[in-house]
Amino acid sequence: MLESDPVAELTSTQKAILTAYSELIDEVGTDDVSFRLIAARAGIGERTVFRYYATRVDLLLATSAWIEGTIFARQDSESIFDVPLAIREAMEAYDRRPELAHVVAETAMRGVNGSEPAPQRHRFDALLRNEVPSLDAPERRQLVAALCHLDSSTTWVTMRRELGMSGRDIADAAMWTAEALLDPIRDRTAR
Amino acid sequence: MEEPVDTPGAILTSAVALLRERTFEDITYLDLAEATAVSERTIYRRFPTRSHLLEALARWIEAERFPLAEFGTPEQFRDAVRDRFRRYCAEPAYAFVAARGAALSPTTEASASPLTATIVRMLDEAAPTLNRRDKQRIAAAARYFASPIFWARMRAGFDMNADETFDAFDRALSQVLATTPELSWAT
Repeated sequence: MLESDPVAELTSTQKAILTAYSELIDEVGTDDVSFRLIAARAGIGERTVFRYYATRVDLLLATSAWIEGTIFARQDSESIFDVPLAIREAMEAYDRRPELAHVVAETAMRGVNGSEPAPQRHRFDALLRNEVPSLDAPERRQLVAALCHLDSSTTWVTMRRELGMSGRDIADAAMWTAEALLDPIRDRTAR
Repeated sequence: MEEPVDTPGAILTSAVALLRERTFEDITYLDLAEATAVSERTIYRRFPTRSHLLEALARWIEAERFPLAEFGTPEQFRDAVRDRFRRYCAEPAYAFVAARGAALSPTTEASASPLTATIVRMLDEAAPTLNRRDKQRIAAAARYFASPIFWARMRAGFDMNADETFDAFDRALSQVLATTPELSWAT
């Protein structure tokens, strides 16, 4: 991957802060947790938390990236045709940690001030260029966009909340939809 | 201070007005209290946390700013979605709040949105004999790609305008419906 790994560059103090905050979100059921409580859980002073994360929004966005990169980390797909399987696994992971799934979902919906809404964009694009070179650019863009939309905690959130679906049904529907999106290019891979 | 008759509605109306000049993060409960002419305690009583406020605000904005056109067929559904994406692009600050509210951990036992109910009804009428599993898959996919969340991701992640976002939606919907080629909508 071209991007640097945000998780690898963290200090041990930062990791302690992000771990503490994600644990508290999971336990309390909201991201509305005081810096004092986060500092106490991380075993450091409140001022140290502020030194690394000046505002609540800074801390929340860093924690969201941390959760995606650790708890919801994906195995890299070697082929675009493996992506539906990765999406199913991601949905199962979100279902195990619903509160964290909501935090990751909400921070990705903040526009330019939020977290990356389509983190797999470059990877999916590269896979498609390599495997299905006959796909033209507009088609590829649409397919990458649709797969990024599915490979997201917002999928789990929407299907749970709007359709009342179980984790198993969500994993099925998300994978099935990704397969349907790939239908037109199944037989178009480069020789 | 005397409370207005519809206090939550008055508070949300103030919040919508304040969103014209600043982001949701920069709107304090004190700002809302002043703009609504109620006490800060009243705001806390109605919206105990900012998540409660954001979720209610998102629902309010969807209902007031982006009312859903009625639809009964996939063709009318497409028109309704195109219209909504255009409205979102005309008022992006409101649309992002709608997307954020839809992504939150639910604070109330509120029922599904009108969009979900209308999609399910459309599928029941268009495909009465379609098995339950496939109907659920199609409903879930159609609902998810028609959401403000899809619009927000296409705009922030892919720099798409309303019509490009609609085209991406339309392509996804067509692929999903094409899985049941025996039905008339698959054309």
